[in-house]
Amino acid sequence: MKNIKKILDYSWLAILIIVVITGIFIFAMKSNIRMETDLDKYMPQKHPAFVYSNQAEELFEIKDGIIIAIENSEGIYNEGTLQKVKDLTKEIQNMEGIEKNDVTSLYTADNIVGSDFGMEVNSFYKRVPTSESKLEKLRDDVRANDMVYGRIVSLNEKVTIIRAEISDTTFTDDFYNQILNFADEYEGPETLYVAGSPIIEGTLGRLMPKDMQKMAPLVIIVIILVLLIILRSIKATVLNLLVVLLSTIWAFGLMSLLNIPVYSVSTMIPIMLIAIGVAYGIHLFSHLELYLQKNPDSDKRTAIADTLKHMWKPVLMTAVTTAVGFTSLITSEVYPVKYFGLFTAFGVMSAMIFALVLIPAGLMIIGLPKPKQFLRKKAADKDKVSFGLDTWIIKRKYLTIILSIVVIGVSLFGMSKVWINSSFLANFQKDSAIVITDRFINNNFAGTSSLNIVLEADEVDKFKDSTTLKLVDDLQNELESLEMVGDSFSLADFIKRMNKVMNEDKDEFNSIPDSQEMIAQYLLLYEMSGDPENLTSVVDYEYQTINITAQMKSDDTKTIKGAIAVVEDFRDRFNDLGIDINFAGTGYRGYVFGGLILDGQISSLILSILIVIILITIMFKNFIIGLIASVPILVTTLVNFGTMGLLNIPLGPTTALISSIAVGIGIDYAIHFIDRYKEYAAETGDKQKTAKMTMYNTGRAILFNAVVVISGFLVLLFSIFPPNRQLGALVSLNMFSSFVGTLTIMFLLLYLSNIYFKKGRSSTS
Amino acid sequence: MKKAKVLIISLMLMAMVLGFAQAQITGLEVMENVYNRPTGPDIQSTLTMTLTNSRGSTRVREIKQFIKEFGDDEKKIMFFVAPSDVKNTSFMSWSYGSGKSDDMWIYLPALKKTKRISSSSKSDYFMGSDFTYDDLGGRHPSADTHTILREESVNGEECYVVESVSKDSDYLYSKTISWVVKGEWFGMKKEFYDEDGELLKRLTINEYKKVNGYWVIPEMEMYNEQKDHTTLMQLKDIKIGYGIKDSQFTERMMKRGIR
Repeated sequence: MKNIKKILDYSWLAILIIVVITGIFIFAMKSNIRMETDLDKYMPQKHPAFVYSNQAEELFEIKDGIIIAIENSEGIYNEGTLQKVKDLTKEIQNMEGIEKNDVTSLYTADNIVGSDFGMEVNSFYKRVPTSESKLEKLRDDVRANDMVYGRIVSLNEKVTIIRAEISDTTFTDDFYNQILNFADEYEGPETLYVAGSPIIEGTLGRLMPKDMQKMAPLVIIVIILVLLIILRSIKATVLNLLVVLLSTIWAFGLMSLLNIPVYSVSTMIPIMLIAIGVAYGIHLFSHLELYLQKNPDSDKRTAIADTLKHMWKPVLMTAVTTAVGFTSLITSEVYPVKYFGLFTAFGVMSAMIFALVLIPAGLMIIGLPKPKQFLRKKAADKDKVSFGLDTWIIKRKYLTIILSIVVIGVSLFGMSKVWINSSFLANFQKDSAIVITDRFINNNFAGTSSLNIVLEADEVDKFKDSTTLKLVDDLQNELESLEMVGDSFSLADFIKRMNKVMNEDKDEFNSIPDSQEMIAQYLLLYEMSGDPENLTSVVDYEYQTINITAQMKSDDTKTIKGAIAVVEDFRDRFNDLGIDINFAGTGYRGYVFGGLILDGQISSLILSILIVIILITIMFKNFIIGLIASVPILVTTLVNFGTMGLLNIPLGPTTALISSIAVGIGIDYAIHFIDRYKEYAAETGDKQKTAKMTMYNTGRAILFNAVVVISGFLVLLFSIFPPNRQLGALVSLNMFSSFVGTLTIMFLLLYLSNIYFKKGRSSTS
Repeated sequence: MKKAKVLIISLMLMAMVLGFAQAQITGLEVMENVYNRPTGPDIQSTLTMTLTNSRGSTRVREIKQFIKEFGDDEKKIMFFVAPSDVKNTSFMSWSYGSGKSDDMWIYLPALKKTKRISSSSKSDYFMGSDFTYDDLGGRHPSADTHTILREESVNGEECYVVESVSKDSDYLYSKTISWVVKGEWFGMKKEFYDEDGELLKRLTINEYKKVNGYWVIPEMEMYNEQKDHTTLMQLKDIKIGYGIKDSQFTERMMKRGIR
């Protein structure tokens, strides 16, 4: 503590050191900072689900598809539209990184047809048909082929799609722009729509940071304005902002020095640091103001020294507990989340250093805030609230307790309704072009999202077996009965189609034949009729592993979960046949990833609450205090998840992380409050007085902090991106419930616990 | 001086003769010679087709095949011997010198039915291999424009290197380059370029020999560069001119299978 006062003697040196270190970090950021946009890098590649999915994706060449829909309200069967389909197909086939065979359209599709003679595999057209009769024949061909009708051409015959499967590395900015250019170029009289998960991810990856770049300055400006109003001093506001700004620079600077890329989750770091960092300065200035009110003639050194004397301990304690709380995120299996936890912890520690070094040193140099503006002549309205709040609550202790229990109960009820969503599409506004396009394609076709179900047998040729394929067919029927599953596709569909075609196109033969020889011979016939890899996407070379693709109308977690549940019902039956079930594809990986983030978040929340209880127990040498201090975190967390459940806000990777604020802010408020309460208790020995003074001093600082951060983050409600809006609302909500939880129920529990007052000396009414 | 003049004149003559000799054969003629090379009145053999994909997995098929010339027409019948679940699946094709499209049938023993199948395109893959029907000698030289690029020796055989550019821009290959053995008129190797002029496939002859006075290729390999996929074709028990009965090429024989 005495050492800390030395800062006041060496202010210039302290500031110089901070400037030099900051300079190094800025230099590191300039030369080394890079964004990680490849979503696969976010996923834990060693996780069994990802390992398997990646293997299966390689085996069956499962890739994400870009879908270009061409709509002609007059119908697609005319020369112009068909020419466009052909030209656009060829243009896309010739794009860099695209394999010709990965582009599917009416122009490239195989037409398996039954005729009086037998079977043919043709293309639908090579030269664009011009005559009425040829156009009609094409239409009839499509109608007769349900592997194409409803899949490539819509049932109302006004829309046809071109699907281009691309590998993860293909999707670059240039590629994205080129695809969008095509859509423009080929427009009219046809309307073109571009959809598919790469496009959704691409658009999201480009627009969301842009939106944040627009919104972030507004947030900062509002925070500055509110700080100016509350602190009534430019000096104090500037120093306060520096704490936040520099801690962010240090966090990202260290990240760059260690060569760790910036993940999208990392954009949450500044948000945490604003919410937490602002508090340190506010508490210091609040104390300083109160000191100057009492001692108007004090010189700056004494005033600052007194502030440091009283504040260094709670600031240090809050920073350490918060940092430890965030560090608990390293238990997450997801690297970006680990980094988020570690660097936020580092940022919090830096904010603490700035608060305890930069603010005092800065004040020594630039002088105290001007007293006339800085000091409130009389207690303002807000102070009255703080003044009165303690007695109000103590008088209505039962009401407070009951209300708290009600809030907790309602939150618990809300939590039961929380649903997880790792959907990318959910990030867009309902009326945005990308959502409309997606809906349009989902209405006309099977679905824009897919889930791959991989069945792996313990012996070769298992999927030529009739029983096995019939079970696969059953599974598909069950899947397709789900509202959100538009279609599914597997080797069984090929066999059924062949069986029908080879039996004079009779519908009763649209089934799996009973004999393995028959199936093997159909397959041979099909293999013979195409190129050697025409079954690659559905079965491996040994007929030991197959891929069922379910087309779904949404990429949200509910849909994927529903489909997976249906498949799981079949697991035992497949296991009896010696077949194992696994899942693959981007949608599935996103689903697993969302679950991992959430599990990590929940376990780290629980862990951090335990750590906080232990740390505070040690700091205050009292276990009950540890428990009481955990109340604001608990209340904040419960209200956060409860509100999400009640307002139908899904839990996603970012919304899950917001609950970390509960840890950061909840601890801060609890420690500041308890520490001050303890000091006043020792000072006065009077419980009422202690309550009043703590409420006046710390309660006020907590209120200021909450008001500053809430008003700043409410700005995000004007964002065009739902996730950014949710972010604003939830951060504000968390600040609010931490504030209310600390000043009401935690205060009451602290008061009623009689800790720091010897028994019998209590003067409770 | 006189001697020099004689030398110059004789050199010029030689050059003319050589030039004339070269001008005598055109790319088209080389390819016509290949197309028309006699293959014998009939041929039977056992074909083993091994397909290998990029992961190194293989599919092996064994086929007993019979081919017979009927004037300008050719009839062919094939029976699957292995794998066992497709045993006796048979395939018959009649192709016509008149340019009429081929007739093709397939017989699936499990279905107990003979089915006509269409021969919509010569650029279809043969039996799901890396060879198209055209690759196996079905493409008429008049469909391409041929140019002799150079002459060079491959495996010790003097070859014409002929570039054949497709007249139809929609054709599977934009061009092919063939190494044709001078005087013998069989291909030693061949490269296939896709619509964009990129190398698509490479055909290599591993073994060639004369049976009963006719050139046969007992082993060749087609490698698809773009897909890393290979088809190895091996012929055993090759018999040429043993006199296959005309009645061998009927639907009845397809159903009977081989014993």
